[in-house]
Amino acid sequence: MEINSGADFNHERPLIMHVDLNSCFATVEQQARPMLRGRPVAITNRRTDMTAIITASYEAKATGVKVGMRLREAKLLCPDIITLESDPDKYRFVYHKLLDIMRDYSAHVTMKSIDEGIIDFHDTTAAIQGRTLEDIGYEIKQRLKDEIGVWMRCNVGIATNRFLAKTAAGLHKPDGLDVITADTIHQVLSTLTLTDLTGIAHHNERRLNSVGIMTPIDFLHADVITLQKIVFKSVVGQWWHKRLRGWEVDDVSSDIKRVGRQYVLERFDLSYNQILQRLHHLCESVGSRMRGQNKSARGIYVYAKTLDRQYWHASQMSQLPFCHDQTIYMQARRLFEQAPTHLREIGIHCYELEDTIDTQLSLFNDQIIRERQITGAIDGINKQFGERTIHSADTLEAGEYIKQKISFGSTRYL
Amino acid sequence: MNDEIFLNERVDVVATFGDGLNPCRPIKFRRPNGREIEITEIGLRHPTTQGKRMVHVFDVTDGGADYRLEFDSERLTWHLKMESDHYGD
Repeated sequence: MEINSGADFNHERPLIMHVDLNSCFATVEQQARPMLRGRPVAITNRRTDMTAIITASYEAKATGVKVGMRLREAKLLCPDIITLESDPDKYRFVYHKLLDIMRDYSAHVTMKSIDEGIIDFHDTTAAIQGRTLEDIGYEIKQRLKDEIGVWMRCNVGIATNRFLAKTAAGLHKPDGLDVITADTIHQVLSTLTLTDLTGIAHHNERRLNSVGIMTPIDFLHADVITLQKIVFKSVVGQWWHKRLRGWEVDDVSSDIKRVGRQYVLERFDLSYNQILQRLHHLCESVGSRMRGQNKSARGIYVYAKTLDRQYWHASQMSQLPFCHDQTIYMQARRLFEQAPTHLREIGIHCYELEDTIDTQLSLFNDQIIRERQITGAIDGINKQFGERTIHSADTLEAGEYIKQKISFGSTRYL
Repeated sequence: MNDEIFLNERVDVVATFGDGLNPCRPIKFRRPNGREIEITEIGLRHPTTQGKRMVHVFDVTDGGADYRLEFDSERLTWHLKMESDHYGD
C-alpha cells in the first residue's frame, strides 16, 4: 500500500488478527496432565539446575519466575516449581491444530512462531459473512478448548496492521481479546512503556530517550524526520512512523538464510575429543535440516563461548556448495582447531544457501555423486525407521545429551 | 519438585472407538502388577512417529496421578510410558 510518510492513522476496518498461545508449552503440559493445572510449571530443555527456562506457567510467573531465567534462580523464587523437559511432538501437534483452526477463516495465515500467528481477513470479508472479528476471535478461543482441550487459552488482538494486532494481543493476558483502532490508540499506548512495544528493547529505548521520546505517546507524536534522521538514522524510522499509525509495513516474508545449531556443554570438563564428538553431532543435525529444505551451503561458521564469557568464531567459504554431513564436519573440525579451551557452548551454522540441484558438473563430480548417494540412503533409512537410526559412530556418546529441540523463532522445521 | 517415573510396561486397555474429534478413548487399563486404573480424563492425545510407525500418545489421569499411554497403530499394542505422581504433595 502506497502512503506518504506523514499519513495519519489508518481508518480502515481492522482486519488483521493476531492469535497468541501465551505460556504455550506450559499451558499444553497443563492441558495434557490435569494434575499440573493451577501449579507453577517450568519447561526446560534439560534436567539440570543451570538450564534456562523456556516457558513458565502463569502460576510460576506470578511468583516472579521469568522465561530465560536459570532453573536454580527460579527454584529460589518458587521452591514448589515443577520442572518438565520439553516434549516437541506435543507442541508440534498443538501448533498444527491451531494452524488448522486459523486456516478455516482465511487463506492468508502466517505463523510467526510455534505459538503465534496472524490471520489476514482482507480478502475474506465475504467469507466471514458480516460477522465482526471479535465474534470470530471468541469462536477461535472456544474451538481451541473444544478441539485441543479445556485448559487451552489464547490471546487475540485485532487491528489494522500486524504490529498493533500483536500489541492488542498482549494487553490482557491470559485469555484476552482486544481491538486497537484510531479511536483507542491513544488510550492503549498511554498504558504502555516503550519497551512494551515489540521491537523496542533497551538499546532502541535509549535512542528514543535521547531525543526526548519517553513514552509510546511521545513516540506516536514524533515526526517522521526526527525518527528517520536522528533516532533510527535509516528508513526504519519511517517504518515506525507508519507502524504506530496502523499502516502495514511488516507483511514481508523472509527466505531461509542460514541453518545452524548450538549446544551448551552438559559438563565443562569435557576433553577436546568429547567436544569434537558433540560438534560432529551438531554437524549431522545441521546437514539433515539443510537437506530437508533441499538446500546446500557455501559457507560455514563455527563459534564457541568460553567459561569466562569470551566469544570465538571462525568461518570459511567454499567454491562448491555442500550439504553432506561429513563435508560439513570436515570443514567445521578444521576451523575448530583454532578454538580456545575451557568452553561452555559451541555452535555451527551454514550460510550462503542455495537450492540443491544436480546440474553443474565439476572435476570432483564422481566423489560428489557417491557422497550424495550415501547420504540419500542414510536419510531414507532415518526417515523410515526414525531419526539417527544411522549416524556416525563418533557421535554415539553425544547423542545421549544432544536432543532435537524445538525452536521458538522459526516454524520452518515444524 | 516432580516425581516422573519413566516406564515401558505393556498394559491391557479398555477403550471405546466412537465418533467426534477424539474417536478413540481409553477408559481403563491394567498394569502387569494387576493394578487397574480408571481414567477420569484424557488430557491430550497427540500422534508421534517412530520412523514411519504411527504411535498415538494419550496423556491421561485417574484423578490422583497423570499417566502417558502409547498406542502403536501398526502393532496394535498399548504401553504405559510414564507415571507422574502427586508432584511433591
